[in-house]
Amino acid sequence: MIRFVDATKVYSNGVVGLKNVTVRVEKGEFVFVIGASGSGKSTFLKMIMHEEAPTSGEVYVNGYSIHNMPRSEIPHLRRSLGIVFQDFRLLPNKTAYENVAFAMQIVEASPREIRRQVPLALGLVGLSKKAKAYPNQLSGGEQQRVALARALVNNPSVLIADEPTGNLDPKTSWEIMDLLEEINQRGTTVIVATHEKDIVDTMKKRVLILERGELRSDEKKGLYINEN
Amino acid sequence: MRRKVYISMKIRTIKLLVKEGTSNIYKNKLMTTASIITVAITLFFLGIVLLLAINLTSNIEVMKRDLDITVFLNVSATDFEREEVATYIDSKIEEGVVSQYRFESREVAFENIKNELKNEALLKGLTPAHMPESFYIKLTDPELSDQVISDLTKFSGVNTEYGIGYNKDRLERLEGILKAFNYVLIFLLVVLSIIAIFLISNTIRLTVYARRREIEIMKYVGALDGFIRLPFIVEGLLIGFIGALISYFLTHHAYEWLQHMLNSILLNLGYTTLRMMEFAPVAFRIFVIYAIFGVVIGGIGSMMSVRKHLNV
Repeated sequence: MIRFVDATKVYSNGVVGLKNVTVRVEKGEFVFVIGASGSGKSTFLKMIMHEEAPTSGEVYVNGYSIHNMPRSEIPHLRRSLGIVFQDFRLLPNKTAYENVAFAMQIVEASPREIRRQVPLALGLVGLSKKAKAYPNQLSGGEQQRVALARALVNNPSVLIADEPTGNLDPKTSWEIMDLLEEINQRGTTVIVATHEKDIVDTMKKRVLILERGELRSDEKKGLYINEN
Repeated sequence: MRRKVYISMKIRTIKLLVKEGTSNIYKNKLMTTASIITVAITLFFLGIVLLLAINLTSNIEVMKRDLDITVFLNVSATDFEREEVATYIDSKIEEGVVSQYRFESREVAFENIKNELKNEALLKGLTPAHMPESFYIKLTDPELSDQVISDLTKFSGVNTEYGIGYNKDRLERLEGILKAFNYVLIFLLVVLSIIAIFLISNTIRLTVYARRREIEIMKYVGALDGFIRLPFIVEGLLIGFIGALISYFLTHHAYEWLQHMLNSILLNLGYTTLRMMEFAPVAFRIFVIYAIFGVVIGGIGSMMSVRKHLNV
């Protein structure tokens, strides 16, 4: 469960990232976050993963309070989250399998757990056959699937995807979105920041629209509303 | 439940991270080599100066132990005049200024000179009656020599023509050199350590930069701070330790070369008690100092870089 209570972020250079945002995302929800660049979308996501802390107000994520969070707690918060980026961020010198396994090594999983979980995660994203391929041998869509497998392998309760289809063609984008929906149906909360109007309008999920740091609308089964 | 993760890293993980740190050494050959060489050179200079200082200290101790005041009496000195000097020295023993003394009679002096010259022609006509009597006085503290010497010159039986022998000047000169060595040692320690720390820190910075993607992913996945830091710390410690190891062998060989050279020079100059000591007895001590210094320098260097550039 994620809760923003009057959360405001003012950067040290005076730029306002978020302004008095209050919103609540329940466990198992699928939420789109949309808005132009500079709308506060990234700040919103960064706050959930504690890359930024609110300058005032509060943010609660999976029982952790982001404001005044002790440093030593951050890794534990992050372990309850799965994070996917627009540019995949895979390690080029590791195979698909090793990239996913890396995420488990970092949280000190046993070799046995790793051998069991990594194939499951790769299977979930439909990449079992490409386990030994290196990122440069995979298409963009496949790379994003590896990134998804990596995000999911430690069983996070929340998946955060920052423009996950920004670098992909429409057909592949849909495949990734279908996958995200499937993941959501298995009980994981999914939060997706995106620019893709078609996808948002078709999927009819909850939509948060941010504008200049403020939450402009919050609709169940919302549409991508163009500002003009 | 989640507190459990705090406790500590598993042995398996530590092994993995140490391996990671070790492999970093290979990945960044040029800077790593430069750092190792810097540590080695730093320690080498420090070590040589340190060894010389240890030598000086031990030689000074030997000199202090052997140092005595030599007082010759006039050849014409009477028994009364001799007793006057002996009484004075006895009183100084009671005051704790003199630790012991030895009297050399005319006969003993004659025997000595006979043994030394071994030339009948030169000894012709020489009898014990021509020889002066003498006292060899050991002080408890060389600092007290000035007073004792000035007291002794006042006795009528004491021969002041040749002066009263005392090698305090040489001792003071050596102590001066030792002091200078200590300053050089401290100076080198500070300057060279800073250079070494800076270079190691820079090497680690490059590794951090080369591995920034992995570090970023590690942070997002929720790696503990220690988990991210440890490989870099290991890398720094290794650089320091390898540098120390190389330096130790360099120092060992350089010192033994220096030892033989200086010993023969000292011998040629006629110093029989001044000697450079052997390396073996201090080898272990030097090795431990080197290893500790290398590891500390490496640790500080990597810690600095990790704090500044890793941001975890």
